[in-house]
Amino acid sequence: MLTALPLSTIPAADEALRPAIRAFLAEHVPGIPPEIRARSWMGFDAGFSRALAAKGWLGLTFPKEYGGAGLGPFARYVLVEELLAAGAPVSAHWIADRQSGPLILRFGTEAQRRFHLPRICRGESFFCIGMSEPDTGSDLASVSTRAVREEGGWRLNGAKIWTTNAHHSHYMIALVRSSGTAQDRHKGLSQFIIDLSLPGVTISPIRDLAGDAHFSEVVFRDVLLPEDALIGEEGGGWAQVNAELAFERSGPERVLSSVVLLDAWIGWLRAEGAADAQSTALLGRLLGHLAVLRAMSVAVTDRLVRGESPVVEAALVKDLGTEFEQAIPALLEDRLGADPAREPPAALLRTLAYTSAMAPSYSLRGGTREILRGMIARGMGLR
Amino acid sequence: MDAVVTDDLLAQSAAELFARHATPAAVRAILGGGPAGVLWSAVEEAGFADALVPEEAGGAGLGPADALPVLLAAGRAAAPLPLGGTMLARAALARAGMAVPSGAIALAEALPGEALRGRVAAHGAAEWVLLPRPGGARLLPVAEAERDDASPYGTVLRWASAGNAPTLPEADWMAAGAWATLAAMAGAMERILEETVRYATERRQFGRAIAAFQAVQQQISVMTEDVFAARIAAQLASLPGEGGTGVAGLDTARIAAAKARIGEAASRVAGIAHAVHGAMGITAEVDLHLWTGLLHRGRLRFGAESHWNAWLGAEFLRGAEAQSLAFVRARLAPPLAENRPAEETTP
Ligand SMILES: Cc1cc2nc3c(=O)[nH]c(=O)nc-3n(C[C@H](O)[C@H](O)[C@H](O)COP(=O)(O)OP(=O)(O)OC[C@H]3O[C@@H](n4cnc5c(N)ncnc54)[C@H](O)[C@@H]3O)c2cc1C
Repeated sequence: MLTALPLSTIPAADEALRPAIRAFLAEHVPGIPPEIRARSWMGFDAGFSRALAAKGWLGLTFPKEYGGAGLGPFARYVLVEELLAAGAPVSAHWIADRQSGPLILRFGTEAQRRFHLPRICRGESFFCIGMSEPDTGSDLASVSTRAVREEGGWRLNGAKIWTTNAHHSHYMIALVRSSGTAQDRHKGLSQFIIDLSLPGVTISPIRDLAGDAHFSEVVFRDVLLPEDALIGEEGGGWAQVNAELAFERSGPERVLSSVVLLDAWIGWLRAEGAADAQSTALLGRLLGHLAVLRAMSVAVTDRLVRGESPVVEAALVKDLGTEFEQAIPALLEDRLGADPAREPPAALLRTLAYTSAMAPSYSLRGGTREILRGMIARGMGLR
Repeated sequence: MDAVVTDDLLAQSAAELFARHATPAAVRAILGGGPAGVLWSAVEEAGFADALVPEEAGGAGLGPADALPVLLAAGRAAAPLPLGGTMLARAALARAGMAVPSGAIALAEALPGEALRGRVAAHGAAEWVLLPRPGGARLLPVAEAERDDASPYGTVLRWASAGNAPTLPEADWMAAGAWATLAAMAGAMERILEETVRYATERRQFGRAIAAFQAVQQQISVMTEDVFAARIAAQLASLPGEGGTGVAGLDTARIAAAKARIGEAASRVAGIAHAVHGAMGITAEVDLHLWTGLLHRGRLRFGAESHWNAWLGAEFLRGAEAQSLAFVRARLAPPLAENRPAEETTP
């Protein structure tokens, strides 16, 4: 059984960051149309990421000696919440800031930290994550990309797929087999930092159903990795990957993926007095859900800040959060078609179309709904 | 004393009290029309009904957030008592400098019209009813009411005249009643989850516990999510609003969000619990319906989802906020911590 989450609040010192972030966003984002802002953390703009870096807002949680701001998770929570609420294009630095940097900080050697972290903080190094493969999705322990030790390093062969931003990134942190066979499952897996400019790396963007090419297939053909490409312990990849995933399930990005659409709809309700009784009630319902989800997300973050590992609670926030994110376009399709005599603004409809099309991905990326529910069931002692 | 510890002690003593006095058999007897006096006396003796009364007036001087564990515990036991209502009514009477009568006080939902009419639920043991009226809430004796028990969702009481009944200043008693209701519902849902997990690990089919089936696991996971959301919604609803003008400082916007969210969770949780219990859960003998019944009645009382969703949507549109998140932060989040330092990471 799980214990209830105590309510928590963001510390005042971290909240103090908010006005400056909002002012910056008010200057940089409103010019972007809502259907582009709806890309949320999949919107790519390297220039925007560098502008954030110039403000000191990349690597907020990394120690100062590596170029970070030395702040806690709640400072980053405030930043991310505002970025996503505004629909800022954050994807260029997103993975490095959220996962790769913290992973390097935790498991990397001093040399790896000194090399990578300052570059991430300056917005010069973008990262991607290579976990999934053509035959490896939910069953991550079945990865078959293989690194074989040889004189001076490792020889890498195999393929990764669905790799967000691979074609825009400088490095990939990949989970690969470094010993044993597929039957050994989670034993014999390791993580490597792969320089994507190395010979033998081929990156082919894959067009998604919304017309973007945000993820890629990455093929490795006899790529020679240097000795220091290994991150963390050889054979420790499985534990490292799971530590990484637990941290990315309960943040604002699991609640706010459709918020640009929600706010665009609200704008229409206000501007054209389109708020009939049903729309008003739906708005109230969505606000109530958002309030409860945010309280849960902040409460789980507080546990992370205290050094606990609320894996099940985080899974629970992600599943409920993505359900909310998916409900928004589903419910608004009904609202925007409720009165056939009325034509909502085209920008709002384009925002709806994008969000409706991409919404299924919210409960796939980062572990599917069914996998998360399995984790919750384990937490409840059912398996 | 440390707030968290007080909290736990209170929760623990409430749990013990209800486990001893509000057994399923006792709850069934009261729901069947039997007297609730013994159970109520135990609650009175523990001081729970005076939890929100200021210390100067002889109460415990707690706020709604401190008292929430008691209401959750009452909900876990499905105790059919007007405990939350009594807590709030006594606090309001004491604050207004008015005499607090002995005996339980049920909050009524006022029915419009000239007549003094109101609907009360879970009023076992109630000697008084607080009936909100234009101009203020009237404290009326149950003994003098004409009663209509035709509805399974609550009794309609009617008084010929208010006489010289004490009148409290106007306040949002609808929200106050919703708070008492939602707290009991959140508690009942926690109990339902425990009972469902227990049943799923005990009941065997196809040679194994039904908990071993992925379809069952996934349903109970969904239920767990709703129960967690309901609990945190109840906690949010117990926090004071800005200005603290509501009964006992309660805030209507937070309660609106929580009552609607909990109502939504309630029907899903009740449905899954019954699905997992199979035919056994449909029997009168198994206690599950004590808690699921509380959920179904609770949804209707003091505003169902439609009522509060409409209220909250209209409240948003009355203001000028453009962003949903900014509204949530300003109106529906816990008040900001003023003096906790930002964490520095140790390299
Ligand atoms: C937008 C997007 C971005 C992505 N970015 C990245 C990235 O940057 N890097 C990366 O490595 N990956 C990325 N992914 C891939 C993502 O991690 C996978 O989609 C996910 O792990 C699921 O794998 P799959 O798609 O192969 O589905 P499958 O595992 O084939 O699952 C298909 C269906 O079967 C169900 N299923 C599978 N196993 C079970 C089981 N044991 N019990 C019950 N049901 C089961 C699933 O829940 C799902 O409903 C991305 C995906 C998306 C959609």
